[in-house]
Amino acid sequence: MSKRASTPVIQLTDLKKRFGIGDAEHFALDGVDLTVQKGEFIAIMGPSGCGKTTLLNIIGLLDRATDGEYLLDGRSVEDLRAGVHARIRAQQIGFIFQSFNLIERLNVLENVALPLTYSGMHHTKRLQRASDVLRGFHLQEREYYMPWQLSGGQTQRVAIARALVNDPSIILADEPTGNLDSKSSHVIMEELSEIHKKGNTIIMVTHNPNLTTYATRVITMLDGRIDTDTGEPRQGLTDANGKRPLSGNGKKPKAKRKRKVKK
Amino acid sequence: MRLLLADHYRTARQSLNRARLRTLLTVTGVAIGVASITAILALSGGVGKVVSKQVAELGGHVAVVRPAAGKATLADLSNPTPMNAYSTSPLSEQDVETIAQLPATEAVAPVMTLSGSIRTKDGQPPEESIVVATTPTLPSVVDLPIADGQFIDSVTRDNTAVIGAQLSVDLYGTEQSIGKNVLIRGQPFTIIGILNRQAKPVNFNNIDFDHAAIISLKSGKLFNGGVAQIQQINVLASPGTNMDAFGQDIDQALRLNHDNQPDADVFVGKEIAQPTSDLFKFISLVMAVIASISLLVGGIGIMNIMLVGVSERTREIGLRKAVGASNMTIVSQFIIESLIISALGGLLGFAGGYFVAFVVSLFIPYDPTFEWSIAGWAATLSLGVGLIFGLYPAIRAARKDPIESLRRYH
Repeated sequence: MSKRASTPVIQLTDLKKRFGIGDAEHFALDGVDLTVQKGEFIAIMGPSGCGKTTLLNIIGLLDRATDGEYLLDGRSVEDLRAGVHARIRAQQIGFIFQSFNLIERLNVLENVALPLTYSGMHHTKRLQRASDVLRGFHLQEREYYMPWQLSGGQTQRVAIARALVNDPSIILADEPTGNLDSKSSHVIMEELSEIHKKGNTIIMVTHNPNLTTYATRVITMLDGRIDTDTGEPRQGLTDANGKRPLSGNGKKPKAKRKRKVKK
Repeated sequence: MRLLLADHYRTARQSLNRARLRTLLTVTGVAIGVASITAILALSGGVGKVVSKQVAELGGHVAVVRPAAGKATLADLSNPTPMNAYSTSPLSEQDVETIAQLPATEAVAPVMTLSGSIRTKDGQPPEESIVVATTPTLPSVVDLPIADGQFIDSVTRDNTAVIGAQLSVDLYGTEQSIGKNVLIRGQPFTIIGILNRQAKPVNFNNIDFDHAAIISLKSGKLFNGGVAQIQQINVLASPGTNMDAFGQDIDQALRLNHDNQPDADVFVGKEIAQPTSDLFKFISLVMAVIASISLLVGGIGIMNIMLVGVSERTREIGLRKAVGASNMTIVSQFIIESLIISALGGLLGFAGGYFVAFVVSLFIPYDPTFEWSIAGWAATLSLGVGLIFGLYPAIRAARKDPIESLRRYH
């Protein structure tokens, strides 16, 4: 909406990440410049080893860049202590993983409430909040199920609920549908685009070109650099959200958009 | 922070609950260590307690004079018989006189113990018996109620004896033995009094009066070539006396008799109650050390099980870090888990230790003592063990790289 005026959620300048030393030295990220505005839904594509996941980990403050600048909500986070990073993760970032990563011995409700533990919310309040979020995913009747009693798609929806529970400014998804069949994949993608429509910023790493149709912006990476970028709000948030007929069933427009994206 | 602690507690309980058998075994390990330390402290404290209670019952105005013991070395413990066991007591009747003349002295009673058989004319000597020669003042310094008859006094004849209740039973099969004749070291004595049953084998006279035959000091001297061989002088001070100063007065007075040599030790107050045997102290110490080793083993058990838990929960740790747990949070989560184990072990061990102590006390002459300091030790040791041995696994958990942890077991 207010694209230019507001500070970007994420601003990366010449970001580098080096692994190994000496002969084995190689750059997983080799000068990445990226600006993400609030409300974008970005899909990052690229071959294995191109640095997608590394980029996601650095954005999610699980890893530190070797070089370059990273502004999160306009604030440099490079030099902050690990404890502050943890607090930022607790309050501003939501993770969705390929392998769901629910804690087996906790039930669905407790799993969803987990991130709130670290933002200092009271136990009962946490569960209430988690329950509210789960209702949005139509999983309320599964609140007291254990993770192993759920199907893959349900598990990932629980994981998405967990990523949303702390109302993060950015949601990071690393191949969220990688372990799911295509039907569940689309359910998950519908959920994500639903979340996106509510104004959330999402960065998703994926191998599956079909899924990029849900995104407002597609970035492909190659050898630690951004190869192609459909660009900052080319089809801006308002447009995309307002006109995209995807939310219902949308198979057709997906195919059309795919061609457009791939050129 | 308080909230987070409550969460850690909840998390720890959940994860311990899930590995119940494992937790139980680890708790048992700590419990055994704490139990042995508790039992040893309770029992060794019991010895001192028995004596100090007796001293307190006498109003705390008792001073005890004993021959100065040479400094015992560790070698003495292993020598079959330490040298000073053969040295004669330097305490003499003159010393008793000297102490009696001190202004603060109310009563003074020498105690001379003799070995030798006590038997009836045609019976066997009982297994346990002791001959004590003393003056009629002994009952005023030591609590010695008479069940039947009378104590020796200034007008009773020399060949009379007062005997303990159990000795009477051992000799005649009854506690009613007044007027009977008993042979002490072959000499006939007439029994004129029976002592109340005391059941206090541990006391500051080091005499089990239930098995003793008490004769006059004069008769005792006759058995010893006419010389008094006094092992201990019990002194009762008049009420309100400063016992420390009184002890020094006695010491000064005795030095005049002994060429200014420190031949005698004077004990007042708590000193009387301290077990005098170095062997006892040494054995208690060795047992405590052995017990601490078992606690150490318990601690290693904690560390072991925590390390297993940490590596089993690598992914959970990674996830928790990803959703906002800091390293400190992870450390405290795992520390609390090990503290719960060790606290449970401490509680169980404390209770178990007292149980063992009470069972053991059925076979030894004194009861275990309860002191808050023992509870304090049990708590400190168990929590300390939990903290020390939980720290490394907790730090290891916190150091895990979240990316690595989440990637594992895909």
